[in-house]
Amino acid sequence: MSPKVRDYGLVLMLIVAGLVPLIVGLNPYLLTVLILMLIFIIYSSAWNFLTYTGQGSLGHAAFFGLGGYGSALIASWLSLPPFAAVFIGAGAAALAGLFIGAICVRLKEWFLAMVTFGFAIIIQTLVVSRQFSGITGGWDGIAAARLMPGGGGTNLLIEYYAILVIGVMVIVIFWLILRSKTGLAFAAIRENELEARAAGINPVKYRLFAFLVSAYFSGVAGALEVHHLGYITPEIFGVDISFWPIIYSISGGLMTLAGPVVGTIAITIVWDGLQTFGLTYGRFIIIGLLLILIIIFLPKGLISLPDRIREYRDKRKK
Amino acid sequence: MKRVFVILAVLFIGLVLFAGCTENQAAVGSPQKLKIGVVASMTGPASTTGKDVWQSAVLAADEINAAGGVYVKELGKNVTIELVQGDDESTREGGQKAVSKLITQDNVDLLVGGFSSAVVSAHESTVADYSVPYIVSGASSPIITHRTDVKTDTVFHHAPTTDDSGGQTTLFIDDTIRPAINAKFGFPSDRPLRLSVIYQDSPYGKGQLDAIKKTIAASNLSINVISEDAFKMGESDFRTVLTSVKNADPDVVYVAAFLNEQTALVTQARRDVGLDKIFIAVECNDDPDYYSGIGRYGEYSIIQSRFSPYAVPSGPIEQSVNKFMSDFDKKWGGFPGMMGAATYEAVYIGANAVEDAGSLNKTRVNEAIGGTTMPQMVEAMKNETISFTPDFRESKFDLYMEQLIWNETAKETRPVIVWPAKLKETDFVIPDWFKPGQE
Amino acid sequence: MTGGLDIVLQVGIWGLYAGCIYILLAIGLNLIFGVMKVVNFAHGEFLMLGAYVTFTFYAISGFNPYVLLVASVPILILIGVTIERLCFRPILGTGKLNEIFISIGLIYLIQNAAAVIWTDEYRIIHSPFESITISVFGVNLPLDYLIIIITTILILIGLYLFLRKTRLGKAMRATSQNRKGAMLMGINVEKMDMISFGIGAGLAGAAGTLWVVSGQVFTPYMGSIPAVKAFAIIIIGGLGSIPGAIVGGIILGLAENFAIFTIGGAWKDAISFLILIVVLIFKPTGLFGESAE
Repeated sequence: MSPKVRDYGLVLMLIVAGLVPLIVGLNPYLLTVLILMLIFIIYSSAWNFLTYTGQGSLGHAAFFGLGGYGSALIASWLSLPPFAAVFIGAGAAALAGLFIGAICVRLKEWFLAMVTFGFAIIIQTLVVSRQFSGITGGWDGIAAARLMPGGGGTNLLIEYYAILVIGVMVIVIFWLILRSKTGLAFAAIRENELEARAAGINPVKYRLFAFLVSAYFSGVAGALEVHHLGYITPEIFGVDISFWPIIYSISGGLMTLAGPVVGTIAITIVWDGLQTFGLTYGRFIIIGLLLILIIIFLPKGLISLPDRIREYRDKRKK
Repeated sequence: MKRVFVILAVLFIGLVLFAGCTENQAAVGSPQKLKIGVVASMTGPASTTGKDVWQSAVLAADEINAAGGVYVKELGKNVTIELVQGDDESTREGGQKAVSKLITQDNVDLLVGGFSSAVVSAHESTVADYSVPYIVSGASSPIITHRTDVKTDTVFHHAPTTDDSGGQTTLFIDDTIRPAINAKFGFPSDRPLRLSVIYQDSPYGKGQLDAIKKTIAASNLSINVISEDAFKMGESDFRTVLTSVKNADPDVVYVAAFLNEQTALVTQARRDVGLDKIFIAVECNDDPDYYSGIGRYGEYSIIQSRFSPYAVPSGPIEQSVNKFMSDFDKKWGGFPGMMGAATYEAVYIGANAVEDAGSLNKTRVNEAIGGTTMPQMVEAMKNETISFTPDFRESKFDLYMEQLIWNETAKETRPVIVWPAKLKETDFVIPDWFKPGQE
Repeated sequence: MTGGLDIVLQVGIWGLYAGCIYILLAIGLNLIFGVMKVVNFAHGEFLMLGAYVTFTFYAISGFNPYVLLVASVPILILIGVTIERLCFRPILGTGKLNEIFISIGLIYLIQNAAAVIWTDEYRIIHSPFESITISVFGVNLPLDYLIIIITTILILIGLYLFLRKTRLGKAMRATSQNRKGAMLMGINVEKMDMISFGIGAGLAGAAGTLWVVSGQVFTPYMGSIPAVKAFAIIIIGGLGSIPGAIVGGIILGLAENFAIFTIGGAWKDAISFLILIVVLIFKPTGLFGESAE
């Protein structure tokens, strides 16, 4: 794919995203849906970033939540505006990422999966424990300064654009990293670790770096959510929060920049759409089925669908 | 990449159009209704309570509409109630989306429901932004109306908080169980009661523990909490905890757990560990599944309750409770639960407030809810009245304690009310197999 | 404190009984991993299905639930084989991440399908022996627990005999030791995959029956927690190692219960993962694990 086409594509995407609110108007409900969706796009992209080094984490809720707590606390202790606190508070997530990353870098895939899964549980236990609940509010949680206090259409519109800008920034940062030498190193480590080592690339260093970046931006997403809602509770470390970015990224396309974006949007539509049919467990069954089918038949995700259709058509022509 | 853009553009527009079709509800010139949004967990782990909440709300609305609707003085006529369901999916995001839709798309006049404290606290700010009256009939955390970071003056708590339920149970332990034990075993009458607490590691469980301690301190009760043990939600093996509790040697074991955990805990305590004490269960265990699951091991244990499938407090509410349960059974088949009962009342409270206010204007309705004085309906309230405290807008329930007595016909235990005095059917008894803690 | 040794003995015996369920799960996982080199996170769902199958047959027939092992195990073997063929065989070799993710899809699918079929209310059945207790070393053990421990031992012995003495079992062991070599010798490795998966699922199904028989509550979501514990056990003990699974199970059981005693029950789940992390820091392939994977 030539860079020019890609650039055009990106610019057009931005224009669409920027225009959406004009279609939607000042509708607070739709803006809320879009804001939450954007937050999850950032979160899924951050999770997905880690998979470039072949690491699949099952416990990213730890970083999402730590970013939220870090930001809520910093905002209140230092009386910072939330949009600033978000970037500082996510540091808590980054620190955790460094810590757990250091443990995980030497581990094989599914050991890593278990460790990250367990890490989210450990973090939640710590947050509600007697020792820390003084700071974290334990099970009661703590309030967080709102991004745009007062709510309402105009405020939500501003929130939307601000988060959109942040989201674009994040994806651009990922893009820059991936096309740099670091990105090449990621690919080398992922493809064949032995050869990468032989070529002088130290997998530990790069894996750790990926963890740090992934954790930090997951924390940013978490902080944004918490300041949007205005309150944080320990339920934020739940398994479902860890699994959604996985579902979104795989559906859209693992290890691509567009994948998490497309996946989050598509699955959110499917999910909310199915709700109008009044399905309760049915929705989860469908999501599970979708995931299985995509992994087997469309392993590169939804964004590879046009290519696959084209291939199929070419094959039929023959 | 071009294709990706195409997909994205299509998806964005698709999302917008799709969401747009849910928008066109309020047609111009449609008859005025009292729209009540019901926030319930229709999907997710709490879906059985969600169903209970929704079905009870529908029952209430249908009853009111059948009786002519709600009279709004400002409009000079009766309006019907229209309920709108909001599924919070038991998640914070789902709750905010649901409430945002109810308020800004469906234009509800007031909200009822709300189950998980975590979910409610996430959408409270939205409720505050639009100053919509919200009668929370499910969540139990006192935080909901005590928050200071957002305006909570439109949030009303019509469900016992953990402070209330934990507090009342502790009072019962002190004024009934303690003297009974001291009398039966010849202990000095000032001997403090030895209490062990086993609680679920969750807002609810922790809230109960805190309430117990607060009540002991505030009322200077003669109870010593000799052990506190937490367990993870969903736990099924309690034997180690119980062995540890047995070592601490209590008189009474207060358990803050859900039905599945409670059943396992009491069974293992009596059968495996030989912990022959008085067990206390919290109100959510007052459910037919508990009585069938606990078998003989639950004999003489206590459940704190406010609405029971098997025990109807005789007296002023007896008739209305029986009617409510049979109407619910006729309409939906099965038993309503406590959350349902509270939501049923919440709909009536809302309708009543609209009539008091004489208008659908949210501010006036809000004031009216604050000033509610209604006779109690299907749950016993303090002073036989439904009203909200001026400081934190909480309603006060007359919670009662049931003791489980073996019923030979049903081959299960059945509850009988033993406290408070004005609702009790019989005295609290200490079983023969009971072994007190050390003197 | 009344009788410290007494308590240790008691807790030890509870641990033994609880360990039975984990051991059956862990060995099933190890079997599957040994032959296919695949890890199925959805293994706990086999446990859950075993429980519900037992419940359904019990509700229909009223037979003694122990007897219903005859129903749950074969049905679960069939389910296991089906899932292997439909889900895992197509993605064999496409990377470990895919296995993990497809398992997540299976978890959502199976849990919620069970909720639709049987509703998600708590269920419990009572064993006919539930009120009988026997005194063992001075501890009052319910007869059921004794039967469960004995049944587990019998199942394990049966498995051992199968793997060591029968042709099929030996073929499976050969496949797990050297897949290419086994292929060259004419062993149908794909059949081995199916069988190992089936047996693994069957073991989990048996664990489900035993769970139910002991009077424990079950819901469609009950499989996740024991499965996660079983995973921690086999990682600690070393993937593919049966003695490792047993040692890991004992370590975990003891550690969990001691944690409850000392730092409190809130740490019960966290402690398993803490141990896991500590073991992996020092020995990244687990206590008994092979160093080259």
